[in-house]
Amino acid sequence: MTTIELSAVGKTYGRTHALADVDLTFDRGVTGLLGPNGAGKTTLLRIVATSIAADSGEVRLLGRDPHRSHADVTAVRRELGYLPQELGYPSDMTAFGFIEYVAVLKEWNDRERRSQEVRRALEAVGLADQATVRISRLSGGQRRRVGLAQALLGDPQLVVLDEPTTGLDPAQRADLRRTLSTLGHRSTVLLSTHQTEDVAALCERVVVLAGGTVRFDGAVTDLVATAVGRVWLADEPGDDALISWRTGTGRHHVVGGTPPAGADPTEPTLEDAYLLMLGPDAERVHSPS
Amino acid sequence: MTTETQGWHADPALLSSYLAGDLDAVTGASVEQHVSRCETCRAAVGHLLGPQLVERTWAGIRDAVERPPLPYPLRLARRLGLSEPTAVLLASAASLRGAWLVGAFLSLSFATLAAYASGGTTLAPFLLVAPLAPVLGVAAAYGPRQDPLEALIVTAPYGRTRLILVRTLAVLVSVLPVTVLLGLAVPGPPWIAAAWLGPALALVPVLLALAVFVGPRLAAAVVSFVWAGVVLNSLRGSIGPTWPVEAAQQGVYLAAAGAACIVIAIRAGTDRQPGVAL
Repeated sequence: MTTIELSAVGKTYGRTHALADVDLTFDRGVTGLLGPNGAGKTTLLRIVATSIAADSGEVRLLGRDPHRSHADVTAVRRELGYLPQELGYPSDMTAFGFIEYVAVLKEWNDRERRSQEVRRALEAVGLADQATVRISRLSGGQRRRVGLAQALLGDPQLVVLDEPTTGLDPAQRADLRRTLSTLGHRSTVLLSTHQTEDVAALCERVVVLAGGTVRFDGAVTDLVATAVGRVWLADEPGDDALISWRTGTGRHHVVGGTPPAGADPTEPTLEDAYLLMLGPDAERVHSPS
Repeated sequence: MTTETQGWHADPALLSSYLAGDLDAVTGASVEQHVSRCETCRAAVGHLLGPQLVERTWAGIRDAVERPPLPYPLRLARRLGLSEPTAVLLASAASLRGAWLVGAFLSLSFATLAAYASGGTTLAPFLLVAPLAPVLGVAAAYGPRQDPLEALIVTAPYGRTRLILVRTLAVLVSVLPVTVLLGLAVPGPPWIAAAWLGPALALVPVLLALAVFVGPRLAAAVVSFVWAGVVLNSLRGSIGPTWPVEAAQQGVYLAAAGAACIVIAIRAGTDRQPGVAL
């Protein structure tokens, strides 16, 4: 079943087109939104999280139109877990107190079941032993995980995570990967990042956004495949390369353009493919979801 | 303490009755005393305990440790019938905690004292503070637009408008009775004790309507400034001290409150942000 359907969705802030005619559908599984700052990732996620309304186009979440009625939007919100990009944490609350507060907002009214669910969420992000610690005493990464824990309350069908990996160390990223892969079996998980390694590690599908439009939509491996034959290792930086940098071996990693003399083709990474996708010569790719 | 000192052991039937709470007080206390000293019987109790009971007890202990205690005013409200989930929501509002209520009580007391000390020639201190106490309380409990949790509150099924209204009601319930009592101590016509309720109740919807556009802090500042102007106006010689709460002015407050309610209602109907009125 398609859980998220966006047809010709647009959103403008003043004269800026944050999103322009975006068509996307999502099913169960983990999808990464990749794009530079200002690409429209947060706007897209906020629309899916029913935090803001689109200016144009049609949005259907779990088969409902969230703008149709209060009942529809509430039904969607009951199945939504949302981690906003910037979530301030009330510093005088404990981790348990904060998650419990959000649990009440999510209508967990039975005290005993609510406690169990709060503990389950804290355990899922590895913070069970920090439950009584005030949020002001937690590290940045721990706070981000507290934010993530509230998004996991009640195993929602829609999980919208705006830059969930900010502030996480590699071990915590690995934990997040485990949590999300389990979640992806039964939920639609949409996360945004501007780091390609997050997408490679966490997502099955990737959507590249730039300037409010979709540049690529498909499997992570398919995105990498678009860069095959366009990345080289060479002794010189390419004259017309999109970007090149000197590697630890002393040779230059050349992305795009024409290969310099003596260049050896090399396996592209997801980052190479992403840069090419954003670069001036990147083809606009539409692939079926 | 834990070594076995007696040759006698409680039989399983007795221990089962003890666990089920079926023993009378004296026998129960005696078995408990014995179990606390006898390792064998303690082990036997362990086998008799159902895993569900152990789990429930453990969950209860964790709850007592992990769950933050409710502030005192809310514990009181719980005894008076406030639902537990609502108490959890209200606990996060600064103006419903003890410290804020004590602050409101003190400023009201000083205002009352000042009015009292003037021998009734000026009611301005009381009339200035009394209607503003609930207004500022509501503003502090509003869940402002700059609230760090705003993004979550907006997208939660509970609903932002409902949360604001619940908190508003809670502030009014906690501040108004004290203010009414203090109003009785104010010298002057006896109806003053109730008359300030007019502006107090009118200023709250005005605050909520203004907050829709400019946020609760600026709205609270504007409302306070305007109300201070009204009260200071009454200090002019030609106008009596009760001028701000006389019938004609009460009519103006009622009209302002009505207009504010209409603004909120229109906003609820037209806001494209899904499901948000305030």
